[in-house]
Amino acid sequence: MMTEELEILKKAWKNDTYSYAQVTEIQIYDMIHKRSSSIVKWILVISLIELVVWSAISLLYVDDEYIKTIELYQLDTLFKIVGIINYGVIFYFIFRFYKNFKTISTTENIRNLMKSIINTRKTVQYYIWYNLGMFTLIFITVVISQIIYDPNLNQIIEQTKNSFPRSFWFIIGMTYVALFAITLGLFWLFYKLIYGFLMKRLYRNYEELKKMEY
Amino acid sequence: MSNSLEQSFVTQLKENQNIIHKICRLYTSDEDAHNDLFQEVTIQLWKAFPKFRGDSKFSTWAYRVALNTAITLYRKSKRIVATTDMEGKRQFIAPEDYNFEEEEQIKLLYKAVQQLNDIEKALVFMYLEDKNYDEIAETLGISEVNARVKMNRIKGKLKKIVNP
Repeated sequence: MMTEELEILKKAWKNDTYSYAQVTEIQIYDMIHKRSSSIVKWILVISLIELVVWSAISLLYVDDEYIKTIELYQLDTLFKIVGIINYGVIFYFIFRFYKNFKTISTTENIRNLMKSIINTRKTVQYYIWYNLGMFTLIFITVVISQIIYDPNLNQIIEQTKNSFPRSFWFIIGMTYVALFAITLGLFWLFYKLIYGFLMKRLYRNYEELKKMEY
Repeated sequence: MSNSLEQSFVTQLKENQNIIHKICRLYTSDEDAHNDLFQEVTIQLWKAFPKFRGDSKFSTWAYRVALNTAITLYRKSKRIVATTDMEGKRQFIAPEDYNFEEEEQIKLLYKAVQQLNDIEKALVFMYLEDKNYDEIAETLGISEVNARVKMNRIKGKLKKIVNP
């Protein structure tokens, strides 16, 4: 009977048949001054880099040339509004991230600990989705405004109207779309790799716990 | 951090280290990994120690943090290279009524337990520690009924592994 066997293991477990090589006080002192390599630490480091990089990209990309261009495309008012929204969103995400991060506690039960790590991670993920979405919208708006308002581009279109067939412009358009898709794909792959590496085990164990509840 | 806090932590951990070793044994398969996990658990315990108020026993508090570390936080660090077999390295002191047959059986059972997944190992650990289902369920964050059901399934699973 298996139950009996588990009981045998329990007896051995209690008697501590195996004596573990004991760690001394000095060794413990050494240990507590070493750096942790826990996934929470890595998630914090990566997340902070992400928040800083994405915020920098969306807030700092402004020079004279850029301002002239958006004025030409009549996008200045729209971009001002987008800029204000962006500030708000960044502060909101940093606040959420901080709140979630604070709830991560090793003294919580296993499931809650996993949940708070996943939530913290998700906050950053949503922030990245927001940025990618925003970039897509801005990209489309700029391309459309460029076609409508850019005199140089219109001139080129006018001049080449007869020398290039329509399919030429179609190919140009498709190239734009393909480049955009590739960029998004690379982002996706990058995050899959980083977080797959860090979070795979956590997700697997979380699923295992969830399965028990059904 | 004050020195007295450090001293108190170090003394208590030293006295209660076997419970951490037991968890490390279940979750690792060689000595280097064992030591590495022990180290990470120690760091996590130390980080959480200022909030430890002593309303539970140090060992109870410590095993929860240790399980959390083993299941959720721990990532194998790069410095693990050697893969010496743990069973060969552990010092073994044979008691007077030593029974070789039983010892073989225990080894076999340990190997079987090591084949379980992380969550199942946590259940087995608490079962072996004689924790009641109320505490097991609370530690995992599932209901007591589900903890019981799962434990029975694990017994079945172990049976299959040991007697294929």
